[in-house]
Amino acid sequence: MAPTDTGIASNLFNIGAERLALLGKHHKALMQGYLDGFIDETAFSEGALKKLIAARILWRPDEQQPLALRPLLSELIASMVADENRRQINADVAEKLEQIRNRVQAYRDAQYKGDYSVAELQLQRLTEHVHDLSGQFEEAIDSLWHRLNSDFGFVASLDDKIRENERAQKQLRRLLDGLDLLDFNELIELAEGNNHLRKLLVSQLQHQLSSHHSSLLEVQKRLVELLAKFRQQQARSMLITNMAAFLRQHPKYQPADYPNRSELPTLFNQAAAIVPKAAIALDKASERQVLAELVRALPRYQPIALDDTQSASFSMALIDEEIAARQQALKTDVENFYLRVIDKGGKLSALEYLQQQALAWDSEIWLYQIIAEYQALPQDEKQMFAILRDEAPASSMNQLLLIRDISLQLQAA
Amino acid sequence: MLQHGPLLERLLAGDFICQVTDEDAFRHLSNEQTQQDINHYLRPLNRRLVGNDDNSVFFLGYFDLNKDAREQLSSQFTLTVQSLLPLLEWLQLVQETLGRDSALTAGDTIKLQEFVLRTEDNQSLRQRLNQLASDRFFNSQSEQLDNQVKLIFRRLKEHGYLLQPHHDRQYYVVTGKIDYLIDVIRFIRDEEQLPVDDTPSQEALL
Repeated sequence: MAPTDTGIASNLFNIGAERLALLGKHHKALMQGYLDGFIDETAFSEGALKKLIAARILWRPDEQQPLALRPLLSELIASMVADENRRQINADVAEKLEQIRNRVQAYRDAQYKGDYSVAELQLQRLTEHVHDLSGQFEEAIDSLWHRLNSDFGFVASLDDKIRENERAQKQLRRLLDGLDLLDFNELIELAEGNNHLRKLLVSQLQHQLSSHHSSLLEVQKRLVELLAKFRQQQARSMLITNMAAFLRQHPKYQPADYPNRSELPTLFNQAAAIVPKAAIALDKASERQVLAELVRALPRYQPIALDDTQSASFSMALIDEEIAARQQALKTDVENFYLRVIDKGGKLSALEYLQQQALAWDSEIWLYQIIAEYQALPQDEKQMFAILRDEAPASSMNQLLLIRDISLQLQAA
Repeated sequence: MLQHGPLLERLLAGDFICQVTDEDAFRHLSNEQTQQDINHYLRPLNRRLVGNDDNSVFFLGYFDLNKDAREQLSSQFTLTVQSLLPLLEWLQLVQETLGRDSALTAGDTIKLQEFVLRTEDNQSLRQRLNQLASDRFFNSQSEQLDNQVKLIFRRLKEHGYLLQPHHDRQYYVVTGKIDYLIDVIRFIRDEEQLPVDDTPSQEALL
């Protein structure tokens, strides 16, 4: 018995290893086939195609159809890359249970006959089946969580999300039904009198399945919540669309005078704003100290003592010239800015321009000059430019508008 | 009450407080004891705390509905009714432009640049935006898409529907005041029995 067994095993090993290698060898073309739904036959040599078909990796579902991946392989890839669009959930428990029962019987028979190597093998197979059963739930739960956590992001529209959610809930119900099929009294009976079996079928499996069960219940709760959220979103979208359509059709529509009803609906009880104002209180002796400090901190007017200038006319003229030159340079730069606006046609921010050209003007002076230049333009030229102020109130209490920047733009005539 | 000073100031100034605009304040407001304290404090000012249907946003209403209060409420109501269509159209436009599968809700983020880019290339969206911007509610004089969008978003920020977390960054977060708007619409629809559906027909459900 033993030599043939190893013979079969080594034969299996060789074929399996060879076929797995095939998968690796053509991984890119096969993955492309997974994505496209069919295989591009020109990407393979004829020999390679034959091998892939013989290895049950590819098949032709119909004579008219192009080659495609076998469903089992697609499923494997879907599970490996968590592609929820194509991942399958297997909720069939009855078949697995049947296999477990048979294996237990075969194991016991072998033990009874005293054939320990066969018994060992059967136990090995049995362990695999038990792990498969548990793994099947784990895979399904993983897939469900994955879909849940991505908010069913793998489908585009809300309607599809709702359908996908409902499908997930159905799968979940089947999984829970499958769990119900497992009768632990039966498993305890199967394992009777054998430590190995007891450990495998009762303590281990029971532990795993009860944790799956609570996972499934948690997923179910979350799925129901998410579905409610989806439905709410759907209702909101529809309300917006339909109300907008109604208001467009009835432009003169006026609802009833709710604010003057004796029972005012709370939604419309929206009071006028009160902005609290405060001023310095002079009557509180304890605050005098603080006030005094505030007053002291105020910038003081300091008359600038000018030296007596004896040759005033000469030096004044010099300074004047210098100022005039600077003023002229500023004017020229601003004019260049206006010219740039005309060239560009689009909107130009004054501060950005200042920065780009690396001009040395203080930004405030720059903005003033641009406004001044604009005001100085003749009326018809003024209309050629749109001047946009980027401004904001100094604070929520102070309505003084501070200009942050100015943009200038050529106005279409 | 001292600790709620800034919150009271915001409420009195007419702000709507929700989880997005001020998470801490909103948590305080959700506490019944704090609500009572605040109402007690506001009593002499003839104000009280009001929440929308599911208490996701709070604002101030009148305690005593005297003549002045009624007058103020009437003019406020007129403004609200006038703003309904432009706001609804804006909601639809954003949803379609950004290719979202559901309507905007509190907490959603809108990037201004993305909105502009997508509108730019699409003539029909461009036209709808143009029309919306010139609505009395937004009142844009500009022909430029960029300015129109900026103005629309700025107006919505002023009205409390949007929050701009950073002054110099052009992205906005939708506030809970949108929930209030939806509640108002639903209320009017129910009260007036308008033929405006918000549940999919039976066929769609099956």
